[in-house]
Amino acid sequence: MSPKHFEATYQAMWDTFAAQIAEAKLGKRTDGAQLATHYRRVCEHLALAQSRAYPIHLVSRLESLTQDAHQLIYRRQDYGMRQLAQLLRVGLPNAVRAERRVVLLALLLFALPLVLSLALSWHSPDFALRLLNASQLRNYEAMYADGQDALGRLRGADGDWQMFGHYIFNNIGIGFRAFGAGILAGVGSAFVLIYNGLLIGVVAGHLQRVGLGHNFWPFVATHSAFELTGIVLSGAAGLRIGLGWIVPGRLSRGEALRASARAAIPLVYAAFFLLLVAAGFEAFWSSAAWIAPAVKYGVAAGCWALVLAWLCLMGRGSVHAR
Amino acid sequence: MNAPHTAAPQRIDTLALAETPEGIVLSLQPAGLVARTLAFLLDLLIRLAINLVVLMVLSALGRLGGGLALIAFFCVEWLYPIVFELTRGGATPGKGVMGLRVVMDTGLPITPAGSFIRNLLRVADFLPFGYAFGIVTMLLNREFKRLGDLAAGTLVVHAKQVVLHDAPPDAASIAPARALSLSERAAIRAWAGRARRLTPARFEELAQIAAPVLPPVQPGDPKRSTAERLLGVAQWLMGSRG
Repeated sequence: MSPKHFEATYQAMWDTFAAQIAEAKLGKRTDGAQLATHYRRVCEHLALAQSRAYPIHLVSRLESLTQDAHQLIYRRQDYGMRQLAQLLRVGLPNAVRAERRVVLLALLLFALPLVLSLALSWHSPDFALRLLNASQLRNYEAMYADGQDALGRLRGADGDWQMFGHYIFNNIGIGFRAFGAGILAGVGSAFVLIYNGLLIGVVAGHLQRVGLGHNFWPFVATHSAFELTGIVLSGAAGLRIGLGWIVPGRLSRGEALRASARAAIPLVYAAFFLLLVAAGFEAFWSSAAWIAPAVKYGVAAGCWALVLAWLCLMGRGSVHAR
Repeated sequence: MNAPHTAAPQRIDTLALAETPEGIVLSLQPAGLVARTLAFLLDLLIRLAINLVVLMVLSALGRLGGGLALIAFFCVEWLYPIVFELTRGGATPGKGVMGLRVVMDTGLPITPAGSFIRNLLRVADFLPFGYAFGIVTMLLNREFKRLGDLAAGTLVVHAKQVVLHDAPPDAASIAPARALSLSERAAIRAWAGRARRLTPARFEELAQIAAPVLPPVQPGDPKRSTAERLLGVAQWLMGSRG
């Protein structure tokens, strides 16, 4: 078959197909079965044209037809609430358990500095000053002081919303950066984890030492369940991606990087979810001064149990049930 | 790298080849630094404009507005590219204007995980300042991938192919002097397809190389240049007879 004959035979079909693609791209309904049939025919035509070295204008016309249709046919259509629920119930906890070694590593990098600096700044008056300067410490003291303007005192609903926005912008941004910095061989994530651990520990220990613990602990107890776990998980995701870079194993470095990024992304989703919940609790619950500390501690215990149960227990045995 | 990448040795173009389940090879044209930078700057302007509008509208609402504005800023900073890449044909508005789109290495539309990875890793591409890491990485590999693209397995490609070939111009068909091999036929057709884009002198010069396949000039024939006669052969190869 000569190129001319080939073109003359199928020209009409290609035109219909191109028109159909253009319509479908605009979001109009088209006959999917017909689109798929046409697509397969045009793929055959392209393969023929390539193997027979037909003129380039002909081949590239078929190429752009198939590429447009390819994008259209293989586009994702499964952004449903059910998928999201399934991900939260089964996918995320399983992914976190599958990466338990990096998660434990991240936990160590975060919790060790936290406990250490908490103990030190609680028991020695000058340790806090080695990490923070005096005015920063005074700011923290003012934040948790007894009195009208301090955190956790009387604040209108609009103030709650303001803080909610602040926590989302700030804290989730930090979580995302902790992940992104992981591609630098994991060093960036390790830094974020250790730094945040030290800072939180110092502030907690210092406030306890100067006698403001009765304001501080009820405030942080509940949302810490979500926030600290979120920080650890986003750090773990960063470490995971860094590991693929420095310990590629049997894969090539590029492949290893891609594989570890794929493994890390559920941890980021989980961290995002947890930090979102944390922001909500921090803005609307932790700051509510009219709730008795005992109630807050009770709810906090429930939240910690909930988070740990979600990560450790949920979705077991349903890995293959998808 | 996938098999198709290594199969063709010493390629001088930057096409990324991806084989589909239908057994055809898609040739993707990765977008370079300039197009992507322009797209980025356009997106930056759009994002700034959105932020400004949000600020103006919500500042009337006091502290509630402030909180909502921060949430909006968060979405514009982190979710803007992800949302657009996953919905609007794989392109943010800026990329759309520049005719770019984001696809997976396999030529498939971008997946949610892919979009999240490549956009959250912007943090690393930005380091140490002004996207230096991203730019250096992009210039170091032939598919112009920044760190985020490498980790996510994504490509930024030109949505529309650049086509330099037209149908061969009309000419009186001439049978070649001998049977031609596949690659010879392809070369003559490709040459003929560039008739409108090459200068006549260069076109003629290239035609001289293929002169041996032309049949000897008969006494009664009208006088024609080598290029015109070779175009006749190209027409004959296209299927015109007589």
